Amino acid sequence: MKTIGILGLGSMGKIIAKDLAKTYNGKIIYLAREINSVKSLAKKYNAEIRYADVSKPKTLVKAFNGIDVLIHAVHHEFNLDVMEACLKSKTNYIDLGGLYHYTKKQLKLNNQFQKANLTAIIGMGASPGITNVLAKYASKFLDKIENIEIKIGYKDFSTYKQISPLSASYSMQTILEEFSWKPAVFINGKIKFVEPISGREEYNFPEPIGMQKPQYTIHSEIATLPYTLKAKNVSFKIAFDDDFVDKIKMLKENGFISDEKIKINNNEFNIKEVSAEILKKLPKTISEKINQYEIIRVILSNKHKKIIMDVKIKGVGETIDKDTGVPPSIIAQMIVDGKIKDKGVFPPESVILGEYFFKELAKRRIYIYKNNKRIN
Amino acid sequence: MKFDFVVLGATGEEGNIASKDLLESGYSVLLCGRNKSRVKNLLEYKKAKFVYVDLNNVEKTASILKKSGAKIAVNCAELRMNINAMKACLISGLHYLDLGGLQEMTIQQYKLDKDFKKRKLTALLGCGSTPGISNVMAAYAVNKMDSVEHIEVGFAWDSNIKKFILPYSIESIVHELTTDPIVLDNGKFKKTKACTFEGVLKFKGIEKQNTYCIVHSEVFTFKRYFGKKGLKFVHYKAGFPKHSFRVLDMIIKLGFGSKEPIKINGISLRPIDFTREVLKKINRPREYKETEDIWIKVYGKSNGNPRKIEMDCLVKTLNGWENYGSNINTGMSISIMAQMLNKNLIKKYGITAPEEAVLSAPFFGELNKRKIFVYEDNKKIN
Repeated sequence: MKTIGILGLGSMGKIIAKDLAKTYNGKIIYLAREINSVKSLAKKYNAEIRYADVSKPKTLVKAFNGIDVLIHAVHHEFNLDVMEACLKSKTNYIDLGGLYHYTKKQLKLNNQFQKANLTAIIGMGASPGITNVLAKYASKFLDKIENIEIKIGYKDFSTYKQISPLSASYSMQTILEEFSWKPAVFINGKIKFVEPISGREEYNFPEPIGMQKPQYTIHSEIATLPYTLKAKNVSFKIAFDDDFVDKIKMLKENGFISDEKIKINNNEFNIKEVSAEILKKLPKTISEKINQYEIIRVILSNKHKKIIMDVKIKGVGETIDKDTGVPPSIIAQMIVDGKIKDKGVFPPESVILGEYFFKELAKRRIYIYKNNKRIN
Repeated sequence: MKFDFVVLGATGEEGNIASKDLLESGYSVLLCGRNKSRVKNLLEYKKAKFVYVDLNNVEKTASILKKSGAKIAVNCAELRMNINAMKACLISGLHYLDLGGLQEMTIQQYKLDKDFKKRKLTALLGCGSTPGISNVMAAYAVNKMDSVEHIEVGFAWDSNIKKFILPYSIESIVHELTTDPIVLDNGKFKKTKACTFEGVLKFKGIEKQNTYCIVHSEVFTFKRYFGKKGLKFVHYKAGFPKHSFRVLDMIIKLGFGSKEPIKINGISLRPIDFTREVLKKINRPREYKETEDIWIKVYGKSNGNPRKIEMDCLVKTLNGWENYGSNINTGMSISIMAQMLNKNLIKKYGITAPEEAVLSAPFFGELNKRKIFVYEDNKKIN
């Protein structure tokens, strides 16, 4: 019986844990810094718990012992340390993305993973993740790919008991990075870094999402798709609502999401890290009835043809974040089942065949559309 | 070296302005604070010296005050330090001035009245622009009336470039915008909701601005000093330009004004201390200029007839003082009052306030020398 480990049981880790508990018959191990905080979850889903602290790489090698595939669900700044530990413990590796810059560094570990006979699939959530697989799938229908455009739109019809002053569906630290790091855009065969929060233009998503204003954002897809699919132009845009953008912009314009250090009472702090911690302490949003929609759209085109791939996620009674938590669970199971055999470090589009993956997504009510027609 | 004045919190913006004004007036100043790098500009003056002072340590502060040889301490530190600074003055025997304590702190400060009287020392509270200039203007107007019923008081400011620049102490701003203020309503103090919208008003040199009811010490001291003239209503109204209020409001709503410590890598940190340091990094752009109007409207009776007097004190960014914007009116005002105390123009012992102790004519005259102009019913009077 093979073992799958989840490192980090934050909001994403919990979704992965839920999906594995429902769909995987093998052994599951949770790796956490604060064991007490995951005890009840481990009891509920019949998982083993081990101590591991990403900020102390030595604890990782010991904790990974005997785990066949590790899903890393802590922040991407630890990706390289966790991968190094996997090499030492002979563990296959999956993560949720490297926000372009980490992805580039992670790909350089390819030879070491090959030599160790291990598989590492990086950026395997919704986006990056499903987006990469969709692009690969659509590429089959075009002779030549000129443009790849990824656009994400979201609309929330939920009712709430309490609304946070700044509600985010994923890590606040990642959001602050996305809003402050210059987004990479692949234009005419070259990487160009543009201003954060730029390219914010109206775009009409299919109903019920409708008109949104997606903006360029730093993302992992741009680190791999231009090269794996040989496209001329590749861009990534995500839409946030005006109020959210306004608040983060205010923080940015006034220096709160800078990467600089600041000295306060003889201690030095990273400004962005402190801001993220302050925002984490805000009152949480408490929902009454969840009703959310998300569309992840990947458009491949050349002068003659356009293929539009959509992932449509309807979250009624459960949050739409499952689209990020479910893929690593599916892929981890594909690795332990021998459905993915390639050795090395890969972005999703290099090793994942669309059909089987799409079927697994459909079982979780995540549907894929090609030119508005459902294909899974 | 013996000093004429000690400035506590000289490392903050107002302390820096007050110190510079005192030094420019030819006095020697002992600059006190915790970060010497913030007074580099002042140490270019021969009569200035820096000493590390932590106001949390009253005994040590008192000993530094005593050794300074000065007769007067000008306190420009955060208002939560006012009581400590006053205690240090009582121990060392120095007269005391500060920039105000909003309401709660002011009430606490008045409890030290007997102690200051016993030592024949003056403690003049609220000596900046508002409280400060506003109080002297109020006394000027009230003295022209037989009875007073209603006073509206406040500030409004704007800048030519709509970039956010911290207008004054973030700690004071957060306190003012989040504390339920007390207003004087029909002769009684009454609590209202924090930062309630008070309408759009037109101001001298600024045009229209949204105003908000906030906590301020004038409500308390006006009742104390003008109550005998029948004063029944006092409202304090703050006017911020939209671009500034938007940022301040978000800072508060997003938790950056919180005083509740959080742990960062095991180290305890108050978000407000972090916010203060981050906002200090924002520089005023070139050509950035501010205008501020400290205003007061006094409604009462004169010779049996209803009378209304409107006073305005207008300040603009000054050449040579560009880095301070319109905040010069606060630091310069306390410097002028400290100099008046030094010249025996203020003679009252115990706790007092500008509306009781500061003579308007010489004070307004000194403001004029600094290009800060006072208007009575739209007519310049200094």
